Amino acid sequence: MATAVHGPGIITELEPFTPGHRACSGCAEALAVRLAAKAIGNNAIIVNATGCMEVVASPFPYTSWRIPWIHTLFENAAAVASGVEAGLKSMEKKGKTPERNIKVVALAGDGGTSDIGLQALSGALERGHDFVYICLDNEAYMNTGIQRSSATPYGASTTTSPAGKESLGQITWKKNMPAIAVAHDIPYVATACPSYHRDLMKKVAKAVATPGPAYVHILSACPTGWRCPTDDAIKIGRLAVKTGTFPLYEVENGQYKLNLNLTKLEPVGNYLKMQGRFRHLTEDTIKEIQERVTQEYNKLVALASKSGEKASPE
Amino acid sequence: MTKSKLTEIRWHGRGGQGAVTSAELVAQAAIGEGKYAQAFPSFSPERRGAPVMAFNRINPDEPIRTRAEVDQPDVVLIMDPNLLSILDATSGLKEGGTVIINTKKSVEQVRKDFGISARLALVDANTIAQETLGVLIVNTTMIGAMIKATGVISSESIKEPFEKRFGRLAERNIKALERAVEETKIGEWLEMAKAKTKEKPGTKGELSWKEIEIGCFITKPGNSVEIKTGDWKSRRPEFDFDKCNKCTLCYFFCPEGCIAKTKDGYFEADLFYCKGCGICATECPKDAITMVEEAK
Ligand SMILES: Cc1ncc(C[n+]2csc(CCOP(=O)(O)OP(=O)(O)O)c2C)c(N)n1
Ligand code: SF4
Ligand SMILES: [Mg+2]
Repeated sequence: MATAVHGPGIITELEPFTPGHRACSGCAEALAVRLAAKAIGNNAIIVNATGCMEVVASPFPYTSWRIPWIHTLFENAAAVASGVEAGLKSMEKKGKTPERNIKVVALAGDGGTSDIGLQALSGALERGHDFVYICLDNEAYMNTGIQRSSATPYGASTTTSPAGKESLGQITWKKNMPAIAVAHDIPYVATACPSYHRDLMKKVAKAVATPGPAYVHILSACPTGWRCPTDDAIKIGRLAVKTGTFPLYEVENGQYKLNLNLTKLEPVGNYLKMQGRFRHLTEDTIKEIQERVTQEYNKLVALASKSGEKASPE
Repeated sequence: MTKSKLTEIRWHGRGGQGAVTSAELVAQAAIGEGKYAQAFPSFSPERRGAPVMAFNRINPDEPIRTRAEVDQPDVVLIMDPNLLSILDATSGLKEGGTVIINTKKSVEQVRKDFGISARLALVDANTIAQETLGVLIVNTTMIGAMIKATGVISSESIKEPFEKRFGRLAERNIKALERAVEETKIGEWLEMAKAKTKEKPGTKGELSWKEIEIGCFITKPGNSVEIKTGDWKSRRPEFDFDKCNKCTLCYFFCPEGCIAKTKDGYFEADLFYCKGCGICATECPKDAITMVEEAK
């Protein structure tokens, strides 16, 4: 079980994201936010799109944030983050506020990122704002009751892609959001998963330290929407990584680097079978998914070997 | 014309317990009897395990115009007995109203423990559901208790909505309901249960529009630490320090951030926040954490 990214010793006891939030029991998305917040630290402004993590952290008049936080609409986290960043810069230039190197960090779900917030995000990345964008990917619109998004994986049953006699659930493949971010030629893109907590915190800290736009895509299990027991989210995340379904990698100035050197991928069925949303899948569909996963993983390996970056051993 | 008899019902359950489904089934049964009825949940961002509310209005004679949440109910249903320690069941209860509780306790015991003087209807819905359905889903059993206590709808008229909703499982749910009708104990009203504040239950400290900051600012950073999410849980982690090797994994993997280092360097959960997910127990490489059922 032990991997290079686990190990004793606490990085920081800082908790900018406090308990008392109202995420479901066992929510790995809340965990992703908590870990990311530890890495972001206190010198930041959080811009949070509508979605589970906004709703559970702000039951008015309460907040789970110890640092400045602003709620945006579902679609415009990147636009608001752009405005906050530009406003800060301008105020600093005019001497209206001291230069404190405050980082702006946008948080949004997979729906808020790969569907309705995509053009705002593209604009912000293209304009080169100095900010971090974190996509909290639980592979559906969970806040409103498990509707599919373009990040929902092939075969997953959701309330708007229900599995049944005639339907295998979601019929499209997951949109490759990190690749879209990379295509904007930004300095830093990374994928992360709270099951690899140190890796996640390192990447978020790196994104915060990167001048210019940085994009971190975090996959996190949602026991409610993925239909799994509340204690399984970490196990499932680990399997998402080890099966190659969700590889951990970084792209620094266009150079790809795989973070875990998986000599052999685990069968994707091990990952799918832990989750009720895939319960209906036939062996044929699982085979089809396996082929796709292997193919996509090999593409990444090829990109990484072109960059000549070595992955750390698992 | 006599004043029409409107019955207003407030359900208290936990997310995932089926309070909303119950309210819907009751409304469908009432409509089947030719009455006017409403069913709707309280709109709030509550999640699985969190306290939730649902409402019914039933009027035998007249259409119901009001769409507001029920804050002065004739009937209050408590689906989870643990809710009694965190909310005021009788809040806004009308004079002569009934409180229906899923509990093993006797009428006297409930009066003593929770100071409720209103009319009581008590049913051990957990046992009935477990024995009749094989699962701890008490919503249909609670409808039985309500039928016994109020007669707002009849056991006959609920059958069709049950069949439509549950298909093959309808029969067992009807059985659970009928058992509840039999077994529900009534404790008549003692004295005038003073109508308490009109404050919405479960939302103590809610601010009026005059009190909130302009722009919906929240000026106390991190004040959600005042919110007790610990009462969502049905099981809690127990830490065995003899087995713990201080690896820190439970600390890092807790979605609540409620596991902290003890002064000896071990780790322990703050049960004020712990929602009982069990991640720490599953991830502990030394099996030093066990999940135990919360005592009822
Ligand atoms: C323009 C608009 N459409 C719809 C909604 C309703 N809505 C709120 S959150 C949400 C889904 C959020 O999904 P995602 O971004 O994946 O975040 P999650 O809740 O899954 O964390 C929707 C549809 C909205 N707030 N605004
Ligand atoms: S619905 Fe899913 S993502 Fe949202 S709070 Fe619950 S577990 Fe977390
Ligand atoms: Mg989502």
